[in-house]
Amino acid sequence: MRDALLIARKDLLAEYRKKESIVSMVFFGFLLLVMLNIAVGVGRELDGEMAAGILWVSIIFSAVLGLGRVLSKEKENRCIDALLLSPVEPEQIYAAKTMVNFIFMAVAEAVLIPAFFVLYGDRFARQVPMLVVVVLLVNIGFSTVGTLFSAITAGTRRNEVLLPLLLFPVITPLMALAVKVTGGLFEDLPYREYSSWLYVIAAFGLIFSGVGYLLFEFVIKEG
Amino acid sequence: MDNGFKDRALPVVVGLLFLSALYAIFFYAPTERVMGIVQKVFYVHLSMAFTAFLSFFIAFVSGILYLTRKDIKWDVYGSSSVEIGVVFISLTLLSGMLWARPIWNTWWTWDPRLTTALILWFIYVSYLILRTSVEQEERRAAYCAVLAIAGFVDVPIVFMSARIWRTIHPVVIRSDSIDIEPSMILTLMITLTAFLSLWFLLFKLKTSVALTCKRIRFLENKIEGGD
Repeated sequence: MRDALLIARKDLLAEYRKKESIVSMVFFGFLLLVMLNIAVGVGRELDGEMAAGILWVSIIFSAVLGLGRVLSKEKENRCIDALLLSPVEPEQIYAAKTMVNFIFMAVAEAVLIPAFFVLYGDRFARQVPMLVVVVLLVNIGFSTVGTLFSAITAGTRRNEVLLPLLLFPVITPLMALAVKVTGGLFEDLPYREYSSWLYVIAAFGLIFSGVGYLLFEFVIKEG
Repeated sequence: MDNGFKDRALPVVVGLLFLSALYAIFFYAPTERVMGIVQKVFYVHLSMAFTAFLSFFIAFVSGILYLTRKDIKWDVYGSSSVEIGVVFISLTLLSGMLWARPIWNTWWTWDPRLTTALILWFIYVSYLILRTSVEQEERRAAYCAVLAIAGFVDVPIVFMSARIWRTIHPVVIRSDSIDIEPSMILTLMITLTAFLSLWFLLFKLKTSVALTCKRIRFLENKIEGGD
């Protein structure tokens, strides 16, 4: 675990100094919020689930931007070979990259969600602590699959183009659940109305952290 | 060359099975009272759906076997299986739509089964796209194996999450009973056998072509390296 934390710290420090991923993620996410607002019709009253859909599309599309970079960055100057040569288990690299993706997403969301409430109305800003829980659970699901898949696409000719093509079909159920639960929160529904879907979101994260943990090694060693 | 007879006999067997399946569907099985002739698509629809799932399951198992054994033949089996599976899942979706239009009065609805089939279609088409984007053989095999495993693991989650939407899909086969006429069950069995034999024929052709290609490339390299 110590190795994973060290690698994650290195990535976060590099990001803190250059701010390339976070800035483009936040900018793109914000841009999408505005574009989707225009798409549904400016000034239209949205119901909770529709608003939740807009929020999640913006978050997921912006998250893919950061995701593509986290592993392809290591490919430049073949840093990944050095990492694999060093006495670090591939699983540790996976854990580190997943953590970094998770943190990138969380930081971007910390800007995007308030921006969402500003643009779409703060009447949706109910049950905020629960919203944070949902968002973090979805982030786990997204970054566990996302890290595995970005390791795959980093080894192909069409890295950035291919990533959403592979990732989105697999995370569609996660997105559907996130929209459902977040829509419930926006409508201020009681916990028992959406709790069963929340468990499925948690299960998604759990299952794919297992899948990623087991399979990442095979992908990264081929790179 | 000694299995030449078997190679030629298999397509004939598949053809005969399909003829008997068609006969059973249109002349043996009774026409459903409410839905009428449209219901007959059910035999083909269910058989294709089953065959598609089988293909993806085989790709999943081949993926695991490739990663543990590193034998390229498992990659050939897995990719051939996915290719056939994509054809069958597409046809499942299309035949379902043909049935749904007169019966549900809509081509498409967000039902768990329909949604699951559609997402499966997306996952395995992306698998085929991935295959075209990696040149190096072993790398491609490893990536595709991982995607086949991750995609298949996703299936139960897709199905669970698709329960968000209400179901209107008929449930014909339950764990304890089958809700149709015995003659319809027999017809279904014949159709299913026909499709499974067709799957096997396609799988055999596909894998033998792929393995022959590899063999030729290997020999070419050997000739070039030799002089």
